Amino acid sequence: MAKLHIKFENGDPDRVIEFNPADAPFHHDGRPGSILDILLGNKIHLEHACGGNCACTTCHVVVKEGMSKLSEAEESEEDMLDKAPGLTPTSRLGCQAVVTEPDAEITIVVPRFTINLASENRDET
Amino acid sequence: MVDRIVDHNDDTRSIFLRMRERMPLRSLPGQFISILIPLGDETRRRAYSIASMDSGVIEICFNQVPNGRGVGWLFERAPGDAVEFMGPFGNFTLDAPPQVETIFVAEGTAIAPILPMLHRAREASHAPIFLLYAASDRAHILYGIELEALAARDANFRFETMIAGGNILARLRDEVEYRWIAADTNRARQFYVCGVGKGVIAIRDMLRTSGYERRAVHYEQW
Repeated sequence: MAKLHIKFENGDPDRVIEFNPADAPFHHDGRPGSILDILLGNKIHLEHACGGNCACTTCHVVVKEGMSKLSEAEESEEDMLDKAPGLTPTSRLGCQAVVTEPDAEITIVVPRFTINLASENRDET
Repeated sequence: MVDRIVDHNDDTRSIFLRMRERMPLRSLPGQFISILIPLGDETRRRAYSIASMDSGVIEICFNQVPNGRGVGWLFERAPGDAVEFMGPFGNFTLDAPPQVETIFVAEGTAIAPILPMLHRAREASHAPIFLLYAASDRAHILYGIELEALAARDANFRFETMIAGGNILARLRDEVEYRWIAADTNRARQFYVCGVGKGVIAIRDMLRTSGYERRAVHYEQW
Protein backbone atom coordinates (compact mmCIF):
# COMPACT_ATOMS: atom_id res chain seq x y z
CA MET A 1 0.00 0.00 0.00
CA ALA A 2 1.10 3.56 -0.69
CA LYS A 3 0.89 6.25 1.95
CA LEU A 4 0.17 9.96 1.51
CA HIS A 5 0.75 12.34 4.43
CA ILE A 6 -1.02 15.69 4.14
CA LYS A 7 -0.08 18.77 6.18
CA PHE A 8 -2.05 22.00 6.04
CA GLU A 9 -0.28 25.31 6.47
CA ASN A 10 -3.45 26.86 7.87
CA GLY A 11 -3.20 24.63 10.93
CA ASP A 12 -5.83 22.03 10.06
CA PRO A 13 -4.95 18.61 11.50
CA ASP A 14 -2.57 16.40 9.51
CA ARG A 15 -4.11 13.53 7.58
CA VAL A 16 -2.73 10.23 6.31
CA ILE A 17 -4.21 8.19 3.48
CA GLU A 18 -3.27 4.60 2.70
CA PHE A 19 -4.25 3.47 -0.75
CA ASN A 20 -3.43 1.17 -3.64
CA PRO A 21 -2.42 3.24 -6.70
CA ALA A 22 -3.74 0.48 -8.94
CA ASP A 23 -7.27 1.23 -7.69
CA ALA A 24 -7.27 4.70 -9.31
CA PRO A 25 -9.34 6.64 -10.18
CA PHE A 26 -10.74 7.41 -6.74
CA HIS A 27 -12.85 10.38 -7.85
CA HIS A 28 -13.65 12.17 -11.10
CA ASP A 29 -11.44 15.26 -11.14
CA GLY A 30 -7.72 15.42 -11.90
CA ARG A 31 -5.61 12.71 -13.48
CA PRO A 32 -6.46 9.23 -12.22
CA GLY A 33 -4.15 8.48 -9.29
CA SER A 34 -3.14 12.12 -8.89
CA ILE A 35 -2.82 13.75 -5.49
CA LEU A 36 -6.07 15.60 -6.17
CA ASP A 37 -7.83 12.38 -7.17
CA ILE A 38 -6.58 10.61 -4.04
CA LEU A 39 -7.58 13.43 -1.69
CA LEU A 40 -11.05 13.92 -3.15
CA GLY A 41 -11.64 10.18 -3.15
CA ASN A 42 -10.92 10.21 0.58
CA LYS A 43 -13.17 13.20 1.21
CA ILE A 44 -10.29 15.60 1.86
CA HIS A 45 -10.87 18.92 0.19
CA LEU A 46 -8.23 20.34 -2.15
CA GLU A 47 -9.28 23.32 -4.21
CA HIS A 48 -9.39 22.77 -7.98
CA ALA A 49 -11.17 25.69 -9.56
CA CYS A 50 -10.63 24.52 -13.14
CA GLY A 51 -12.03 21.07 -12.42
CA GLY A 52 -8.58 19.46 -12.23
CA ASN A 53 -7.59 20.16 -15.84
CA CYS A 54 -4.24 21.94 -15.43
CA ALA A 55 -5.79 25.33 -16.17
CA CYS A 56 -5.12 27.07 -12.84
CA THR A 57 -2.90 26.74 -9.78
CA THR A 58 -5.48 26.38 -7.02
CA CYS A 59 -4.43 22.75 -6.35
CA HIS A 60 -0.79 23.79 -5.86
CA VAL A 61 0.93 21.61 -3.24
CA VAL A 62 4.50 21.43 -2.03
CA VAL A 63 6.04 17.96 -1.93
CA LYS A 64 8.20 17.49 1.17
CA GLU A 65 9.06 13.80 0.73
CA GLY A 66 8.67 11.30 -2.08
CA MET A 67 9.10 13.59 -5.10
CA SER A 68 10.66 10.73 -7.09
CA LYS A 69 7.57 8.58 -6.49
CA LEU A 70 5.44 10.97 -8.53
CA SER A 71 5.04 11.21 -12.29
CA GLU A 72 7.32 13.78 -13.90
CA ALA A 73 5.82 17.20 -14.52
CA GLU A 74 4.93 17.83 -18.15
CA GLU A 75 5.48 21.15 -19.91
CA SER A 76 1.86 22.26 -19.40
CA GLU A 77 2.19 21.79 -15.63
CA GLU A 78 5.54 23.61 -15.57
CA ASP A 79 4.03 26.50 -17.53
CA MET A 80 1.17 26.75 -15.08
CA LEU A 81 3.41 26.48 -12.02
CA ASP A 82 5.52 29.35 -13.38
CA LYS A 83 2.60 31.60 -12.48
CA ALA A 84 1.80 30.06 -9.11
CA PRO A 85 2.21 32.23 -6.02
CA GLY A 86 4.73 30.85 -3.53
CA LEU A 87 6.45 28.57 -6.04
CA THR A 88 9.09 26.25 -4.58
CA PRO A 89 11.49 23.76 -6.23
CA THR A 90 9.19 20.92 -5.15
CA SER A 91 5.89 22.53 -6.08
CA ARG A 92 3.43 20.39 -8.03
CA LEU A 93 -0.13 20.69 -9.20
CA GLY A 94 -2.22 18.21 -7.28
CA CYS A 95 -4.29 17.43 -10.38
CA GLN A 96 -1.23 16.42 -12.43
CA ALA A 97 1.14 14.69 -9.98
CA VAL A 98 0.32 10.98 -10.15
CA VAL A 99 1.54 8.49 -7.55
CA THR A 100 3.29 5.86 -9.62
CA GLU A 101 4.69 3.30 -7.17
CA PRO A 102 2.62 0.82 -5.14
CA ASP A 103 4.65 1.33 -1.95
CA ALA A 104 5.28 5.06 -2.31
CA GLU A 105 5.43 7.19 0.83
CA ILE A 106 4.79 10.85 0.09
CA THR A 107 4.39 13.94 2.24
CA ILE A 108 2.78 17.10 0.92
CA VAL A 109 1.95 20.50 2.35
CA VAL A 110 -1.13 22.43 1.23
CA PRO A 111 0.13 26.02 1.35
CA ARG A 112 -1.77 28.70 3.19
CA PHE A 113 -2.06 30.90 0.09
CA THR A 114 -3.66 28.04 -1.86
CA ILE A 115 -6.37 27.80 0.79
CA ASN A 116 -6.76 31.58 1.08
CA LEU A 117 -6.95 32.08 -2.68
CA ALA A 118 -9.95 29.81 -2.88
CA SER A 119 -11.83 31.15 0.11
CA GLU A 120 -11.25 34.81 -0.75
CA ASN A 121 -12.52 34.31 -4.26
CA ARG A 122 -15.69 32.50 -3.33
CA ASP A 123 -18.80 34.35 -4.43
CA GLU A 124 -22.42 33.53 -4.86
CA THR A 125 -24.78 35.10 -7.34
CA MET B 1 -28.44 34.75 -10.68
CA VAL B 2 -29.11 34.39 -14.39
CA ASP B 3 -29.89 37.86 -15.71
CA ARG B 4 -30.45 37.03 -19.37
CA ILE B 5 -29.68 34.47 -22.03
CA VAL B 6 -28.50 34.95 -25.60
CA ASP B 7 -28.39 32.10 -28.11
CA HIS B 8 -25.65 32.45 -30.71
CA ASN B 9 -26.81 29.48 -32.80
CA ASP B 10 -28.52 26.07 -32.36
CA ASP B 11 -26.03 24.78 -29.77
CA THR B 12 -24.12 27.77 -28.44
CA ARG B 13 -25.36 30.09 -25.72
CA SER B 14 -24.26 32.99 -23.53
CA ILE B 15 -25.57 33.37 -20.01
CA PHE B 16 -25.24 36.69 -18.22
CA LEU B 17 -24.88 36.38 -14.43
CA ARG B 18 -25.80 39.28 -12.19
CA MET B 19 -24.63 39.39 -8.59
CA ARG B 20 -27.49 39.40 -6.12
CA GLU B 21 -25.56 41.76 -3.92
CA ARG B 22 -23.20 44.23 -5.47
CA MET B 23 -19.77 42.90 -4.54
CA PRO B 24 -16.39 44.01 -5.78
CA LEU B 25 -15.32 41.51 -8.41
CA ARG B 26 -12.02 41.99 -10.16
CA SER B 27 -10.86 39.91 -13.05
CA LEU B 28 -8.03 39.97 -15.53
CA PRO B 29 -8.87 39.55 -19.21
CA GLY B 30 -8.81 35.82 -19.95
CA GLN B 31 -9.79 34.52 -16.53
CA PHE B 32 -12.61 32.10 -15.78
CA ILE B 33 -15.14 31.46 -13.08
CA SER B 34 -15.62 28.07 -11.50
CA ILE B 35 -19.30 27.17 -11.49
CA LEU B 36 -20.57 24.74 -8.88
CA ILE B 37 -22.85 22.36 -10.74
CA PRO B 38 -25.10 20.00 -8.78
CA LEU B 39 -25.14 16.58 -10.43
CA GLY B 40 -26.98 13.91 -8.49
CA ASP B 41 -25.79 13.92 -4.89
CA GLU B 42 -22.55 15.75 -5.55
CA THR B 43 -21.33 19.11 -6.77
CA ARG B 44 -18.81 19.39 -9.56
CA ARG B 45 -16.74 22.41 -10.53
CA ARG B 46 -16.56 23.45 -14.11
CA ALA B 47 -14.55 26.36 -15.45
CA TYR B 48 -16.13 28.85 -17.85
CA SER B 49 -14.17 31.73 -19.32
CA ILE B 50 -15.47 35.22 -18.81
CA ALA B 51 -16.44 36.53 -22.24
CA SER B 52 -17.35 39.94 -20.85
CA MET B 53 -17.89 41.69 -17.55
CA ASP B 54 -19.82 44.93 -17.36
CA SER B 55 -21.17 46.59 -14.21
CA GLY B 56 -20.87 43.36 -12.27
CA VAL B 57 -22.65 41.28 -14.92
CA ILE B 58 -20.53 38.35 -16.08
CA GLU B 59 -21.03 36.68 -19.45
CA ILE B 60 -20.03 33.09 -20.02
CA CYS B 61 -20.35 31.33 -23.37
CA PHE B 62 -20.65 27.59 -23.92
CA ASN B 63 -21.91 24.99 -26.35
CA GLN B 64 -23.59 21.60 -26.16
CA VAL B 65 -21.19 18.67 -26.05
CA PRO B 66 -22.01 14.96 -26.24
CA ASN B 67 -22.65 13.58 -22.73
CA GLY B 68 -21.82 16.98 -21.24
CA ARG B 69 -23.83 16.82 -18.03
CA GLY B 70 -22.40 20.04 -16.61
CA VAL B 71 -23.15 22.07 -19.68
CA GLY B 72 -26.53 20.35 -19.90
CA TRP B 73 -27.34 21.74 -16.46
CA LEU B 74 -26.34 25.20 -17.62
CA PHE B 75 -28.58 24.95 -20.67
CA GLU B 76 -31.49 24.26 -18.31
CA ARG B 77 -31.00 27.53 -16.40
CA ALA B 78 -33.56 30.27 -16.92
CA PRO B 79 -33.53 33.99 -16.05
CA GLY B 80 -33.82 34.40 -12.27
CA ASP B 81 -32.21 31.02 -11.46
CA ALA B 82 -29.40 31.02 -8.91
CA VAL B 83 -25.93 29.98 -10.04
CA GLU B 84 -23.14 29.56 -7.51
CA PHE B 85 -19.60 30.19 -8.59
CA MET B 86 -16.08 30.89 -7.35
CA GLY B 87 -13.45 33.10 -8.84
CA PRO B 88 -12.30 34.61 -11.06
CA PHE B 89 -9.30 32.34 -11.49
CA GLY B 90 -6.75 31.53 -14.15
CA ASN B 91 -3.35 32.50 -15.49
CA PHE B 92 -4.16 32.65 -19.19
CA THR B 93 -4.40 36.41 -19.04
CA LEU B 94 -3.36 39.60 -20.72
CA ASP B 95 -3.03 42.13 -17.96
CA ALA B 96 -1.31 44.95 -19.84
CA PRO B 97 -1.44 46.26 -23.39
CA PRO B 98 1.19 44.41 -25.42
CA GLN B 99 4.43 46.04 -26.49
CA VAL B 100 5.09 43.61 -29.33
CA GLU B 101 3.06 42.21 -32.19
CA THR B 102 0.51 39.91 -30.64
CA ILE B 103 -1.28 37.05 -32.35
CA PHE B 104 -4.46 35.53 -30.95
CA VAL B 105 -5.56 32.12 -32.20
CA ALA B 106 -8.94 30.71 -31.24
CA GLU B 107 -11.62 28.28 -32.32
CA GLY B 108 -15.38 28.29 -31.68
CA THR B 109 -16.34 29.15 -28.09
CA ALA B 110 -12.65 29.44 -27.18
CA ILE B 111 -12.98 33.01 -28.42
CA ALA B 112 -14.51 33.73 -24.96
CA PRO B 113 -11.27 34.38 -23.00
CA ILE B 114 -9.73 36.09 -26.04
CA LEU B 115 -12.47 38.74 -26.36
CA PRO B 116 -11.68 40.64 -23.15
CA MET B 117 -7.98 40.36 -23.99
CA LEU B 118 -8.60 42.05 -27.34
CA HIS B 119 -10.44 44.90 -25.62
CA ARG B 120 -7.58 45.26 -23.13
CA ALA B 121 -4.91 44.98 -25.82
CA ARG B 122 -6.27 47.81 -27.92
CA GLU B 123 -6.78 50.22 -25.00
CA ALA B 124 -3.33 51.72 -25.15
CA SER B 125 -1.25 49.60 -27.45
CA HIS B 126 0.40 50.65 -30.67
CA ALA B 127 1.60 47.12 -31.36
CA PRO B 128 -0.10 45.21 -34.18
CA ILE B 129 -2.78 42.85 -32.93
CA PHE B 130 -4.11 40.03 -35.05
CA LEU B 131 -6.81 37.45 -34.40
CA LEU B 132 -7.04 34.23 -36.39
CA TYR B 133 -10.40 32.71 -35.53
CA ALA B 134 -11.74 29.43 -36.90
CA ALA B 135 -14.96 27.48 -36.55
CA SER B 136 -16.59 24.46 -38.13
CA ASP B 137 -19.04 26.61 -40.10
CA ARG B 138 -20.16 30.21 -40.47
CA ALA B 139 -22.83 29.92 -37.74
CA HIS B 140 -20.17 29.05 -35.17
CA ILE B 141 -18.09 32.17 -35.77
CA LEU B 142 -19.19 34.09 -32.65
CA TYR B 143 -19.14 37.82 -31.86
CA GLY B 144 -18.61 38.72 -35.53
CA ILE B 145 -20.26 42.14 -35.19
CA GLU B 146 -18.20 42.97 -32.10
CA LEU B 147 -14.98 41.94 -33.82
CA GLU B 148 -15.79 44.01 -36.90
CA ALA B 149 -16.57 47.02 -34.72
CA LEU B 150 -13.24 46.60 -32.93
CA ALA B 151 -11.36 46.43 -36.21
CA ALA B 152 -13.20 49.48 -37.54
CA ARG B 153 -12.21 51.53 -34.49
CA ASP B 154 -8.59 50.45 -34.25
CA ALA B 155 -6.21 50.38 -37.20
CA ASN B 156 -3.77 48.24 -35.19
CA PHE B 157 -6.27 45.41 -34.87
CA ARG B 158 -7.09 43.04 -37.71
CA PHE B 159 -8.82 39.69 -37.72
CA GLU B 160 -9.54 36.88 -40.10
CA THR B 161 -12.04 34.08 -39.76
CA MET B 162 -11.64 30.63 -41.18
CA ILE B 163 -14.26 27.96 -41.83
CA ALA B 164 -12.40 24.78 -41.05
CA GLY B 165 -14.91 21.92 -41.15
CA GLY B 166 -13.93 19.02 -38.90
CA ASN B 167 -10.34 19.25 -37.68
CA ILE B 168 -10.24 22.92 -36.76
CA LEU B 169 -7.03 22.97 -34.72
CA ALA B 170 -5.09 21.08 -37.39
CA ARG B 171 -6.12 23.76 -39.90
CA LEU B 172 -5.18 26.47 -37.45
CA ARG B 173 -1.81 24.84 -36.89
CA ASP B 174 -1.11 24.85 -40.63
CA GLU B 175 -2.10 28.51 -40.88
CA VAL B 176 0.07 29.48 -37.92
CA GLU B 177 3.02 27.67 -39.46
CA TYR B 178 2.50 29.31 -42.85
CA ARG B 179 1.97 32.85 -41.54
CA TRP B 180 4.31 33.20 -38.59
CA ILE B 181 6.99 30.54 -38.98
CA ALA B 182 7.60 29.86 -42.66
CA ALA B 183 6.89 33.42 -43.85
CA ASP B 184 9.71 35.21 -42.03
CA THR B 185 12.41 34.99 -39.37
CA ASN B 186 10.77 37.41 -36.94
CA ARG B 187 10.48 35.60 -33.60
CA ALA B 188 9.62 38.62 -31.46
CA ARG B 189 5.86 38.09 -31.57
CA GLN B 190 3.79 36.76 -28.72
CA PHE B 191 0.90 34.35 -29.05
CA TYR B 192 -2.30 33.56 -27.17
CA VAL B 193 -3.83 30.27 -28.28
CA CYS B 194 -7.08 28.77 -27.00
CA GLY B 195 -9.05 25.74 -28.12
CA VAL B 196 -10.30 22.28 -27.32
CA GLY B 197 -7.95 19.30 -27.15
CA LYS B 198 -4.35 18.39 -27.85
CA GLY B 199 -4.20 20.53 -30.98
CA VAL B 200 -3.49 23.50 -28.71
CA ILE B 201 -0.39 21.74 -27.40
CA ALA B 202 0.70 20.94 -30.95
CA ILE B 203 0.56 24.66 -31.82
CA ARG B 204 2.43 25.54 -28.62
CA ASP B 205 5.19 23.04 -29.36
CA MET B 206 5.49 24.12 -32.99
CA LEU B 207 5.89 27.77 -32.03
CA ARG B 208 8.40 27.10 -29.26
CA THR B 209 10.54 24.75 -31.32
CA SER B 210 10.60 27.23 -34.20
CA GLY B 211 12.33 29.88 -32.12
CA TYR B 212 9.66 31.74 -30.19
CA GLU B 213 10.44 32.24 -26.50
CA ARG B 214 8.68 29.86 -24.17
CA ARG B 215 7.07 32.70 -22.26
CA ALA B 216 5.89 34.39 -25.44
CA VAL B 217 3.58 31.48 -26.19
CA HIS B 218 0.54 31.57 -23.95
CA TYR B 219 -2.14 28.94 -24.28
CA GLU B 220 -5.16 27.40 -22.67
CA GLN B 221 -6.26 23.91 -23.58
CA TRP B 222 -9.91 23.05 -22.90
